[in-house]
Amino acid sequence: MKSLWLLTKKNLTLLIRTKSSALIVIFAPLLIILILGLSFNNSAKYGLNIGVCSDSFTADVESVVTSLQEEEFKIVKYEKSLEGCIEDIKLGFVHTCISLPESFKIEGNTQKEITFYVDPSKINLVWMVQNTLQEKLNIKAQEISEGLTSEILTKLSDTNTKVGVEKDRVEVVKTSNSNALSSIVSSQTGLLGLDLDGPTTEYDISIANTFKSNITASINDGLAKVNGAKEALDDANISSSDKSPISALLVQAKTDLDQAAALVDNGTGGINAIVALVASMEADLSTAKSKLVTASEEIDSTTTNLEKTKASLDTAVSSLNEIKTALEGIKTNLESQKVTEAGVISSPLITHIETVAPRSTHLNYLFSGLIVLVIMFSSLLLGTTLVMMEKHSPAFIRNYFLPVKKITFILSIYFTNLILGLIQVIIIMGISLIFLPNFYSSIPLMVLILFLATSVFTFLGMAVGYVFNSEDTSVLGSISLGSLLLFFSGLILPLESISPTIRQITYYNPFVIAEKLVREIFIFNTPINAVWLDLVFLAAYAIVLFLIIMIFESLIHKHLINNYMRHHHKLHRDNDKKKTGV
Amino acid sequence: MESIELKEVSKSFKGTPILENINLKIEEGDILGIIGQSGSGKTTLLNLISGYLEPSEGDVVYYSKVEKQAMDLNNNLNRIKKYIGFNTQHTSFYPKLTVKENLMHFGQMYKLKKETLLTNANSLLEFTRLEKHQKKLADQLSGGMQRRLDLACSLIHKPKFLMLDEPTADLDFILQEEIGHLIQEVNKQGVTIVIASHHLDFLEKICNKIAIIHEGKLKSYGNIGNVQKPFFKEDIVINIKVKEDKEKIIKILKNLPIKKIVDQGHQLIIYPENPEKTMLALMQAVKKEDLYLYDVDLRKPSLSEVFTKVTKGFKVEE
Repeated sequence: MKSLWLLTKKNLTLLIRTKSSALIVIFAPLLIILILGLSFNNSAKYGLNIGVCSDSFTADVESVVTSLQEEEFKIVKYEKSLEGCIEDIKLGFVHTCISLPESFKIEGNTQKEITFYVDPSKINLVWMVQNTLQEKLNIKAQEISEGLTSEILTKLSDTNTKVGVEKDRVEVVKTSNSNALSSIVSSQTGLLGLDLDGPTTEYDISIANTFKSNITASINDGLAKVNGAKEALDDANISSSDKSPISALLVQAKTDLDQAAALVDNGTGGINAIVALVASMEADLSTAKSKLVTASEEIDSTTTNLEKTKASLDTAVSSLNEIKTALEGIKTNLESQKVTEAGVISSPLITHIETVAPRSTHLNYLFSGLIVLVIMFSSLLLGTTLVMMEKHSPAFIRNYFLPVKKITFILSIYFTNLILGLIQVIIIMGISLIFLPNFYSSIPLMVLILFLATSVFTFLGMAVGYVFNSEDTSVLGSISLGSLLLFFSGLILPLESISPTIRQITYYNPFVIAEKLVREIFIFNTPINAVWLDLVFLAAYAIVLFLIIMIFESLIHKHLINNYMRHHHKLHRDNDKKKTGV
Repeated sequence: MESIELKEVSKSFKGTPILENINLKIEEGDILGIIGQSGSGKTTLLNLISGYLEPSEGDVVYYSKVEKQAMDLNNNLNRIKKYIGFNTQHTSFYPKLTVKENLMHFGQMYKLKKETLLTNANSLLEFTRLEKHQKKLADQLSGGMQRRLDLACSLIHKPKFLMLDEPTADLDFILQEEIGHLIQEVNKQGVTIVIASHHLDFLEKICNKIAIIHEGKLKSYGNIGNVQKPFFKEDIVINIKVKEDKEKIIKILKNLPIKKIVDQGHQLIIYPENPEKTMLALMQAVKKEDLYLYDVDLRKPSLSEVFTKVTKGFKVEE
């Protein structure tokens, strides 16, 4: 345990005594945290350049522009020039384009379309832009939605008033109908109350027939006999004595007629039965007459009721006509409300997101960042390592005595790195062609960019190599530098979320320049004349770094020799003095 | 004649003087040994002679036979570099190149023609006895072979001057002998050699000129005999190799005017006050006592002794 502590203590002492190590170990994290803290310690949405395109910058459009400007967005206006705005996205001058309609007035069941044009390769930025702008547009949409809802509510209020009025009319109709109904019910009750049932007595008609036949027979018989007597008396010229038979015959006739009278008195088949029948029939007829009277009265009553009903119905028809007119008015009013779909009212504005490059895979979008990332780290580390290899090579001193200029050595390291970088690029691009077949056309320009990027990062790595003494610290320095460049590249967090001052500096980050160039060439096929300035910038970086390395190499070489010699001699002389006592 | 001359040369680092007012001339064919204590400035002097460092004051002048002119070494370093070979205290080549690749690489750096380069490389491989190892990686060679390769790398362009900084550091006696032999061979081929070393015996054997540096000053410079000569007068040493009768001889010596006797077993080193009288008296006593001596000789002060005296402030009589 003690040994462990002693060894650890020794390591720490050695580390701290090596100035560069101490610098890296202690100050590098401090520096990185400080820079990152200064850069990202804000929540404001700085620095978004928003292109606003519209056919005309009407008051509606200007209101959106103003609201965006209030959020510190920088607005670039493109009147009737969507293509120009899209080109500027590709070149990185604006982060997004918003295509706005001239007017936000909703005149039908059609939502107003707002289209965002974004660079899909800036994945992290796309969402930030969309979220930020969506917030603003949602407010606008809410305003419009409120207007539409208010309009509808006004119409509903009008309708309500009118319906209130019509409600009274409906009451009238209702009362009329109710009266009509009562009359009808009353008539119905009356009519239903009429007893129209006929007499139900079964009259024995055979009695009358029998009576008739009997009477007829008896009478016929009496008549016959009377007729016989009449004839006999008519025929006999006999005295009154002789008339006796006649008289007998007449008596006989009388007898027959008595018999006929007896038949009438007889209960069965007699005239009484007929009288009873007739009486019965008379009663029935009386009853029927009474019923008919009642019916007649009912008909009178019903007629009265029907007249009332007619009057009620006339009133109802009149009211209904008025109601119809009112409803037609309401209908017209409601029909004048053109926005009727709930979706349009609740979301009067719809947003579309269009990409300024064809939709593609994530690899396409990430490719530019990835390839520059690989190039950066490999070039930085290789540059540093090669310089350290040369510096720490046993042949370092011998090289000084060679009739070869310093610049040649520096360039040799650069070219070594370039060759290795080229191999890496060929491998990466070769593999990329499998996944990104549309890559061929951009290869020549891409090679130029990667060549410049490799040069810049190699020189940076070499500069680190010349600054530091130990290989470990220089590699650590290289990685730290690479990490810083990466942090401020927009690949992890959008540059737009960095505070403005530092963001201005990050635009000069070679990683940012190289990544932007690769993206523009690879994704948008931008022609070289549109990106030449960035290329020149990158080349200038390489040249300046090369000159710095030349100065570094010269200064550091002298500094190291001076320091080494001074300490070397002082130490030895002091030791010798101690030994000899001189 | 090729030569390098230092005129009133001083060198300081950030105000700390390292060398002061050095005047010396290295002439063609010399093997100059620079000796001094650690930190005395001998490596700095070697670096000034080679052009690796620029003097703070004074001039380093290179006289070129080929270019038939005297040139300020530092102002014309790129022209003069081809005439100079340099070996540092530690081997200086690429460990992961083979022996021949190293030679070819450094030769190509001197822009030698391919044929010349091949000839030089092969002859150096033979000279340094590395022919059989030419395809080995340099870091696979033994310490001695690495030294030889280092020397070969310094000679690949056939320099006029060869600067060697501690060429025998960390080498055992046999390897020191071997390197010494090689250096003498190189010198015989017309290469002027400047060596900075701690190994005074080694320098004494191979150098014809010596420069003694002490505390940044050139204390003594010249042919080795001339450097030693001032010390002959006082410090002639008598070596007596004895096998028997040592005690008797010591007894005799004690009666003679002798400053110090050093007993080294079979050898007695005597520091007499008067070497000639002491020698005569010793011979007479030996003869009288019938004693037996293997060998008696008068020894010059070694370079080491001279150096010790110089650095301890001995005033050399002019």
